[in-house]
Amino acid sequence: MNVKAARTLKAVIPTASMADIAFLLIIFFMLTMTFEVDKTRVTLPETIVRMEVPKKAAYISVNEAGQIKVSSGDELSVPVATTDDVLSFAAGVVASNPGKEFVIKADGEVPYGTIDGIIDSLKRARVEVIYLLSSAETQEGA
Amino acid sequence: MRIERETNVSDEIPTASMADIAFLLIIYFMITTTFAATQGLDFQLPKEQDDTPLVEKEESVLIEIAASGQLIVDGRPMELGDVLEYLKPKLERDALKPVIIRPDPDSAYRHMVDVFDELRQSEDKIGILVRNISIPTQREIEAFWY
Repeated sequence: MNVKAARTLKAVIPTASMADIAFLLIIFFMLTMTFEVDKTRVTLPETIVRMEVPKKAAYISVNEAGQIKVSSGDELSVPVATTDDVLSFAAGVVASNPGKEFVIKADGEVPYGTIDGIIDSLKRARVEVIYLLSSAETQEGA
Repeated sequence: MRIERETNVSDEIPTASMADIAFLLIIYFMITTTFAATQGLDFQLPKEQDDTPLVEKEESVLIEIAASGQLIVDGRPMELGDVLEYLKPKLERDALKPVIIRPDPDSAYRHMVDVFDELRQSEDKIGILVRNISIPTQREIEAFWY
């Protein structure tokens, strides 16, 4: 009698497409990645109305301690001493790009006097539009 | 003569480690990715012109924010939720009624944002848009307030 050898089945999970999936994910992350020009950690005030801030906008950040940092939107933010420095910075940015938008990224607990000085400097530098960066407010009962 | 068999040399590029490299890159991007806040309230600053009309205090609605965050609207203490209802009849008479926000320098910045946010929701809440919101700076108050 002719006895056939039993066929051995290999228990292998097909992984050929795993690299394709992984590279798709990499491409997604690379395309969606944006470099934050300002890494100041602040607790933003919450608002219901929120507009998208233009990319490459200039940033002025104020942390809880009142320290001010500025960035033209192209390079990392640098600290400045007073709101007068904000005026000279903003005037320089507006001189090279008159329609430049400015973003104020300030901690909600900062005394308004500091923000007032910054807004005044931006007005004097003839900035046209500013954005007050905020986080999404959770509606009551939601 | 005994002829030896040729050894089989694979002509495939070894790709076994490619998935490892790819997943390492994914982990790198996932760790370094930060979700930046990219939304906020837009605020149009007035253009400095010589013919900028001066607003009479009596013609406008003045919202003062005390250091404690308490709102005083036209001299009367008011809750934030009541401000738009107070403004509604005034805006019905004059859609361009100026609304001035004047925060105390010692009040927290978030109180000013709360008021500004509330005014920006006027169209949804009372059906009339507050078109004329101004937030004068301390320098402007000292120069023009009377």
